[in-house]
Amino acid sequence: MKFIDKLFERKARQLAQSSSRRSMLRGLGGFLVGASALPLLPVARDASAGPTTPAEEGDQASCDYWRYCAIDGFLCSCCGGSANSCPPGTEMSPITWIGTCRNPVDGRNYVISYNDCCGKSACGACLCQRDEGDRPLYRSDKTNDVNWCLGTSSSTYHCSSAIVVGLAFDNK
Amino acid sequence: MRLLLTLVVVFSSWSVQALDINTQRAKFHYQMHCEGCHTPDGTGAMSVPRMKDQVGLFLETDAGRNYLVKVPGSATSALDNEELAEVLNWILVEMGGASVAANFQPYTASEVGDLRVTPLNEVERYRAQLLLEIAEQRSRQAN
Repeated sequence: MKFIDKLFERKARQLAQSSSRRSMLRGLGGFLVGASALPLLPVARDASAGPTTPAEEGDQASCDYWRYCAIDGFLCSCCGGSANSCPPGTEMSPITWIGTCRNPVDGRNYVISYNDCCGKSACGACLCQRDEGDRPLYRSDKTNDVNWCLGTSSSTYHCSSAIVVGLAFDNK
Repeated sequence: MRLLLTLVVVFSSWSVQALDINTQRAKFHYQMHCEGCHTPDGTGAMSVPRMKDQVGLFLETDAGRNYLVKVPGSATSALDNEELAEVLNWILVEMGGASVAANFQPYTASEVGDLRVTPLNEVERYRAQLLLEIAEQRSRQAN
């Protein structure tokens, strides 16, 4: 054991003679900063490749808001929820009507999921009917005239959200 | 380790190329034509059947393979034959998990085009019958 003590003492003294405490701090600091930046790099690249939460502007409680281009219903933003979430006491339907809208900020088209919020009677505020891409009832997957409270415990419609779920594919 | 990683990358890109899937396009078509009911990861909800980790079961019989095209959501969709074949292959690769054999035969546009001419009218009973046949075939193979 004494041998190990001696060895560490000698090595520690050698290290102390050949380096300053500041250089240790500099090295450790550099390592910590570098290590914290490293995992961010791939994430940052991924975000620039396909933003699903794009830069945007506008009032989510206004029918003119860009994500509402294909909506038909009461805006959850006016009913105690938001464009992304349901008001308290309601349940978001996992079965939805999906369309695309152009984001005026970056000029790109995004896939928007209009998940209905269900379980309370109709909200009645901010009725918004823009209907871009809406198809007749015989194309049931592309019509917004039906009640989309299809995957919830209650089929009572309350309001509609508008969630960005991806970038539209550009054929060009 | 580096060699292993390189091989994994090479083989994974090779299999996607062999299937001829444009992942971004296929995902977009899934979102626009399927996801509304089948949910983003294929889990389904209420009466919408689960595809995640199960959809590959249907490839075990010819009738099952045909079913995935003849089911009204596929057959009567607004996708053309190439797009439908691509999105079906993408669903199998992306959501099928262990239910899809690694060497499964991808759908082609012409196969899809022939099958979708006669879509199913009644789905639920037909589907239940198919799954029964697949289960029976499995038990015969196991014995």
